[in-house]
Amino acid sequence: MKSLRKISTGISNSFTIWSKELKRACGDIGVFLFFVVVPVVYPILYGIIYNTEGIHEVPLIVVDESHSSLARTFVRKIDATADVQVYAYATSMEEARAAIDNKEAYGILRIPADFSWKINRGEQATVALYEDMSGLLFYKAVLLATTEASLDGLVACDASPVHYEAVAQYNPKSGFASFLLPAILILVIQQTLLLGISMLATTTREKNQGRLIPPEICYSGTFRIVFGKALAYLTVYIPMTIWALIIVPYIFQLPQSAHYATILLFALPYLLACIAFAMLISTFIRGRETPMMILVFTSLIFLFISGISWPQSAIPAFWKYLGYALPSTFGIQGFVKINSMEATLNEVTFEYRMLWLQAGIYWLATCLIYGWNLGRNKLSNESTIT
Amino acid sequence: MPKISLHSILQAANRETARLLHGRIYWFCILIAPVITWIFFLSMMCQGLPTDLPVALVDLDNSSVSRELARQLDAFEGTQIVAHYGDFGEARKEMQEGKVYGIFFIPRHFSADATAGKQTVLSFYTNNSYLIAGSLLFKDMKTTATLASGYVLLKTGLAHGQTEAQIRAKIQPVVIDSNPIGNPWLNYSVYLNNLILPGILALLVMCVTVYSIGIEIKEKTVKEWLAAGRFSITGSILGKLIPQTIFFFLVGLLLFVVLYLGMQFPVNGSLMRMAAALFCLIIASQALGVFMIGCFPTLRLGLSFACIWGMLSFSIAGFSFPVNAMYPPVQALSNLFPLRHYFLLYVDQALNGRDLFYSWTHYIALLGFLLLPLLVLRHLKWSLLHVPYQP
Repeated sequence: MKSLRKISTGISNSFTIWSKELKRACGDIGVFLFFVVVPVVYPILYGIIYNTEGIHEVPLIVVDESHSSLARTFVRKIDATADVQVYAYATSMEEARAAIDNKEAYGILRIPADFSWKINRGEQATVALYEDMSGLLFYKAVLLATTEASLDGLVACDASPVHYEAVAQYNPKSGFASFLLPAILILVIQQTLLLGISMLATTTREKNQGRLIPPEICYSGTFRIVFGKALAYLTVYIPMTIWALIIVPYIFQLPQSAHYATILLFALPYLLACIAFAMLISTFIRGRETPMMILVFTSLIFLFISGISWPQSAIPAFWKYLGYALPSTFGIQGFVKINSMEATLNEVTFEYRMLWLQAGIYWLATCLIYGWNLGRNKLSNESTIT
Repeated sequence: MPKISLHSILQAANRETARLLHGRIYWFCILIAPVITWIFFLSMMCQGLPTDLPVALVDLDNSSVSRELARQLDAFEGTQIVAHYGDFGEARKEMQEGKVYGIFFIPRHFSADATAGKQTVLSFYTNNSYLIAGSLLFKDMKTTATLASGYVLLKTGLAHGQTEAQIRAKIQPVVIDSNPIGNPWLNYSVYLNNLILPGILALLVMCVTVYSIGIEIKEKTVKEWLAAGRFSITGSILGKLIPQTIFFFLVGLLLFVVLYLGMQFPVNGSLMRMAAALFCLIIASQALGVFMIGCFPTLRLGLSFACIWGMLSFSIAGFSFPVNAMYPPVQALSNLFPLRHYFLLYVDQALNGRDLFYSWTHYIALLGFLLLPLLVLRHLKWSLLHVPYQP
């Protein structure tokens, strides 16, 4: 009977804590900003920035020293590609260089005087290509378009029987939004949870003379505190997750191969791991405004450590394993595979298990710290009474 | 309005220097956090270009020709064949699980068909969900496929009495001699870290500016601060920010030492002009910070604003995704981010070594940010004195 009553008060306390935490989250503008406004607005902003997916018609300037019809045919072939547009003909390299310096063009193609002579004699002709390196996408567009044109026979020949086809799997447009946005969507969830939860915890400390747990009757057991709080964050983040992982990709027409249920099933351990991770981190931070100062610069590090842009196989071992401590690493890898690469939960077993493992470990650690704080509170309460 | 005097600035600066030296959070944001990011990004990309990206090979031909092709693909520095599969489905599953970034597919009877003059198709797949890995592999696999076609022609052509040079000219009549200007190694570390690292510094500058002003409200030390500046808001702000400028600039110079002297990142222009650009970036970020706390005179809102603006600047500066590819309104907006101007200055002055003529507008633009605080100074002073701390 006694243990039954303990369980029932525990559950009711949990829900009291849940509702208190929800009210605090909504009533505190700073927390509300990170829990609701940023997760809603940020994906849209990034979507707008990257939505054009790629660069087309990169201006190229041509220095034609050959003045031959073959050279003009070659240039026309380049101009015909979607990636590059011939901006102008320059009479000298200096003139061409000036156009580059003025950022009117992002590449120079120099066709030598012996171009058509060599080709007509059945020799290889060499053209020089100078690419502006201020953006790798410029470089790629200019080089690919020129290579494409160079392989497209200028003269009739008995072509090789060997052909090839290149397939850009899972991101057919090789688009930038399709590549980076899924990672950002996942990362926004973790980072806003980190900031919001840390802000709530540090505020509690500031309001209660440095104590993590307020001296109220419902906060009397470790499990009910951690469970009640986590449930509150989960309540806020379920709609945020649906927005970020399902609605935003739909709005921006990102490749989304997965069934919604798969995405949500995967998102569950990710959310739990993020919440537990954030709750754990939050116990170490003091000062209401400190979380932003010490966490904001980590976003870029977390993005790169996840292996979405810098390939995971090239990440030094130390950083790779450090990345294993972060929910975002597995969240990004798993979500990209499910969302863009037609994977099911089967193919992301590793990420899925690691997220559950993280959730378990961080949850346990959070409970330990809350338990320890609770014990300390009780001790100091007794000493003030006696 | 109290007059601004050198004495008031000095007094406020003295007070601020002591605060900076005794605040753990300042040590963290001014020195420790930047150094952490340097270590992270520079060691992460120490290879310059990712090497040995894993590729799966599906060789249904299994002839000496196809094995030679596989050897050639594997010989590229960027590519490593990590697995052989007898079936495309298995390889695709590996790709889905992210274990390989590409698949090279050689069809059945490839070499027999090719030497008999029958059409045959090599296929290669790159996983462009990982855009960098995908693009790098694309290059290697495409070269291999082109070579394959040459190899076959060479064998048949030689049989018909043509010279090697003639055959080569038929396969590829035009050879491209590619010269990437300023970064011939296509080094990603050079490409990204020249901007990410100063960008993070600028983000921290903005946060520290907002924090150091807002915290005075929170700790109820506004009066003390303004008294040090003899109640001139301009003097008090200048006195507060100048020590931060100096500290951040020193840390920025240390970054330059690491990048340009230690790591030998190329500087084709002048380091002095880059240092000037860095200085302008720092004071522009400070000015933006003052503007933010002036608009939202609560610590928390001002800081959030600074964080959001600072994070967006990495995307909108256009070094990974070019600004000309963005929608026109976004292109216009990009001018409001100091990092955008710093990026263009870097391109002109370090990467390409251009004449000052091409860049001076961006120096001016960065200095233009200094006008922003003037718009909010009065409002800021009023709120400093009358609006209490709102948690």
